[in-house]
Amino acid sequence: MTSSSSPGSRDSVLRAFESFRDDLDDHNDRRERIIKSSRDITNLSKKLIFLLHRTVTEDPTEFDDRVLGQRAAARARGKLIEIQSLFAALRDELVGDRFWRYQRNVSPGLQEYIEALSFAHYLEHKTLISYNQVQSTLTDRDGVPYFPLPLEDYLLGLADLTGELMRFAIAAIPRRGGRQKASDVCGFVRACKADFEGLTPYFKELRKKQSVTAQSLAKIEDAAYTVVVRTSEFDLPPELLDDLVAQTIVRAADHGNFGDESRRKRGREYEYGMEDD
Amino acid sequence: MDAENLEKINDLLEADVAIKENIKEQVTEFDRKTRALSGVLNRIHSTRPEQIPALLDSALPTLESCHETTAALASIIPANQFWKWKEMWSNSLRTAVFSATLVEYLQRGGLLSLQQVADALGIKPQWQDRFALSVEDYLHGVITLVNELSRLAVNSVTLGDFEQPIRISLFVKEVFAGFAMLNLKNDLLRRRYDSLKYDIKKIEEVVYDVSLRKLAPSTKQQA
Repeated sequence: MTSSSSPGSRDSVLRAFESFRDDLDDHNDRRERIIKSSRDITNLSKKLIFLLHRTVTEDPTEFDDRVLGQRAAARARGKLIEIQSLFAALRDELVGDRFWRYQRNVSPGLQEYIEALSFAHYLEHKTLISYNQVQSTLTDRDGVPYFPLPLEDYLLGLADLTGELMRFAIAAIPRRGGRQKASDVCGFVRACKADFEGLTPYFKELRKKQSVTAQSLAKIEDAAYTVVVRTSEFDLPPELLDDLVAQTIVRAADHGNFGDESRRKRGREYEYGMEDD
Repeated sequence: MDAENLEKINDLLEADVAIKENIKEQVTEFDRKTRALSGVLNRIHSTRPEQIPALLDSALPTLESCHETTAALASIIPANQFWKWKEMWSNSLRTAVFSATLVEYLQRGGLLSLQQVADALGIKPQWQDRFALSVEDYLHGVITLVNELSRLAVNSVTLGDFEQPIRISLFVKEVFAGFAMLNLKNDLLRRRYDSLKYDIKKIEEVVYDVSLRKLAPSTKQQA
């Protein structure tokens, strides 16, 4: 820089700031593009979650868990590929050291995607999808990841999954074999919650989501308890018993949300089967 | 979660925790140095113009010692993770930018460029994806420089230096014209830029006072 205020120094200052402007404009424009894409990803992921719920509850004739699980996974496959291609399209924007600059903007969509992906995975395999498995869905054919999967997003996406599993369990109870399914889900969520507990000191958001998970878990435990207690009073044929159970569940669900945050996220449109795709 | 997954997660976590601790250690040191710099440079408000060069010279070794810290940080950060960790040292770095640009202004009257500041702090271009001087950190440092100069304008007069406010006024207006070219979002940078106009107003008042009372040499003696 030339010294003291002279025409030369003014020029070089202005030129420097011009390049700063270009730099900041470039950054802000890129951030906008990434945010838009992240919103699209969130949108598609939420729709996929609704689709998965519908698939496992809509068919009144199918009770085999494995069949329903396969069906859900099959329907999910195309949608997941669509979402993954959105991530692939972002890879240039997130190349090299760029990823961490925009991680915050990619995060919401990424977590929603992981929620949908892990839900589909659970329905098919009854297990928790691993970190490596998630990363592999965000990797190209040559084994190069689109971007590094942040541990935080993986964990927070899974924490949201427990909310969906609670809904899934509740919806399953009135159906044949539903009480067993609910019990399985309950055990699974308890195990997840236990695994996450050790990680909460490192992720503030995870702590908050854990308390939401705890609420959901308590609700379904209460509902399961109520069902057992009520049905034990009767010696009824199974169909009437199922009706009774269905009524009990509706009453129990009315008394609260399955996690306030989840309800806020889902919005009014999520009442079982009443949302449109 | 199966054992293998848990292990993977713990490995990732431990790696990050270790990096964070190492950075913290360096940032504490960085902070110490930048505070020392601020302490020395704060004396310009009570130092007569002819003694300023000596004061600035006394600050140079500390500025130079920042090279060790920036190099240490660059060696801790894994490739491509600059943006993941930079918030941890942002404040210290911005203070260092301010100090470097203030010394330059007092010594040579100009604005040290981003690249020159990076060089002054020992930041090497090949560290780009691990440790660098971002545009934002540079700009924040420069805004602090303007804040400081508006104060110096007032105190220079008190110390009998009637030219300094005029020089400061011209310099700050150039910097402000540069900032005015930026398309800023509604963030901290924007808010601090907005507050520059108060600094300019303050400086203008000093210039007015000094000119009105014919305390300053006439303008044609500048440049």
